[in-house]
Amino acid sequence: MTLFQFLERFQAMDRRWVFLGMAIAIIVPMLVPINFEFSVDERVQAMYDEVESLPAGSTVLVSADFDPASRPELEPFFRANLEHMFRRDIRVVMVTLWEFAPPLVVPILDEMAARHGKEYGTDYAYIGFKPGKELAIKAIGENIYKTFPEDPRGNKVASLPIMQGFKQAKDFPLLVSVSAGFPGTREYVLQIQGQYNLNMISACTAVSAPDFIPFYKAGQLKGLSGGMPGSAQYEKLVYPDGPPPGVRLLATQSVNVLNLGHLYIILLIVLGNVSWMLTRPRDVAAGGKA
Amino acid sequence: MATIDIAGAWVSIFLTMCIFSYLYDDNPIYKMAEHLFLGVSIGISTVEIYFGAFKPNMLDKLYNGQLLSIVPLVLVLMLFLKVNRKYSWVARIPIAFIVAAYAGVKLTGQAQSNLMTQVSQSMPDLGQLWADHGMWDWSADGAGVFSGLFLVVGLVAALLHFYFSAPHNRPMRMVSRFGVMVLMLSFGASFGYTVMGRISLAIGRVQEMLGLDRPAAEAAAIHPQVASVVSAGVVIAVLVAWRMQQARSAPPADAEPAP
Repeated sequence: MTLFQFLERFQAMDRRWVFLGMAIAIIVPMLVPINFEFSVDERVQAMYDEVESLPAGSTVLVSADFDPASRPELEPFFRANLEHMFRRDIRVVMVTLWEFAPPLVVPILDEMAARHGKEYGTDYAYIGFKPGKELAIKAIGENIYKTFPEDPRGNKVASLPIMQGFKQAKDFPLLVSVSAGFPGTREYVLQIQGQYNLNMISACTAVSAPDFIPFYKAGQLKGLSGGMPGSAQYEKLVYPDGPPPGVRLLATQSVNVLNLGHLYIILLIVLGNVSWMLTRPRDVAAGGKA
Repeated sequence: MATIDIAGAWVSIFLTMCIFSYLYDDNPIYKMAEHLFLGVSIGISTVEIYFGAFKPNMLDKLYNGQLLSIVPLVLVLMLFLKVNRKYSWVARIPIAFIVAAYAGVKLTGQAQSNLMTQVSQSMPDLGQLWADHGMWDWSADGAGVFSGLFLVVGLVAALLHFYFSAPHNRPMRMVSRFGVMVLMLSFGASFGYTVMGRISLAIGRVQEMLGLDRPAAEAAAIHPQVASVVSAGVVIAVLVAWRMQQARSAPPADAEPAP
């Protein structure tokens, strides 16, 4: 087979071979792990530093707006962030604007709190899901007690010890948005971050990251973690000596797999373009379309 | 670990395999998983919205005698009149409320945080940049005077590409072409991030199928790798049966076309 024949066959290749190649590129490095070093991005470091700068006993508002579809990208960050805050005795108040989030995020919050011996209502609380998108965010900015009158356990939110003195979003020293899309980080920035000059950090999916980088550059976000690599970097900062027994760092163990997946896509793009360029003159000579 | 949790993990792996079977072709087992997903999604959504919004914001308030909550209830009922041809015009009233509220809420946020702040950030202080980072700073994402100038020139060129009130003569064409290159760089970055996101999702599913997303004790109880092999076997068997059934029901190649 000549090079041209190979390239022509490559261009006409069934797309299912591409999928098979990607499956191999993902599964093999998971079964036979390889560890490349990776560095921490300035944006993720800023995010970590922002949490580090809070004194023990501070109360942080976390908006966990993601669903099972974005779990691989955001759950590792969510876990590492909770670990970071509970380890530093920072209190956590969690809300969500996504109806599919509660069954996913509430057990994680309870699990992480139990691991650190935290008490519900005093050290952490989940005060509920609120539909209404931007309107719900606006309401969180104005009056949390009215927006979330009761938590899912039936407690009056205004009477929870952790909520004393925290009536509006601006009362919290930090807002953490874990955002998989709409409504999420963008809506928080547009609706209340600017209006109340909130200290805000965000972990978002890779797809959203290019849109949110301008918010970070403009100082509207104090830190930003984009996709699985961002989560892996945050894990690296929170667990510098590796995970403790019984804990899996899902993003860290995925970064090398992600690298190989990217190399595979790059290889396909290069091969596709090279074969198209090399075989194009023959098509033209044969009267085909260039 | 409870049996129901183990069964749930097996069902999850099986449904993942069913969805992955779409990569081969659109097929009945994929459709089954898709319909199941839609049904469960709508079910969860309905329950969450009922207990998260409808009950606390309306039913409980009405029950407690706050009669003002009758207003949103009436608006909701008016929305449902959309399905009635004779009275569908009534639905325009609540829709007008929604549109007006959203327009008001969105406008201020967009103007303040998206437009004004971003416009001010597109005019970098070059003196400050030089003092903080010099011409180029590797440790700060390439911040510096070069990046500041590139931002301004690239932004102006991209905006001029969409300026149609002046003839695109030679200098204008050059600027416009540079603007297109800047846009292409931006699209390339977005595409790269999108690819990364999609591969991440695939990694997440494979982690579950190999049992790498759980503590070792849980994974040992579930046997996710066995579940993956069994699920793959079932899915392949269904695909083979479906293909054979298709081949049997297809008309022979030499059959006369129907009149």
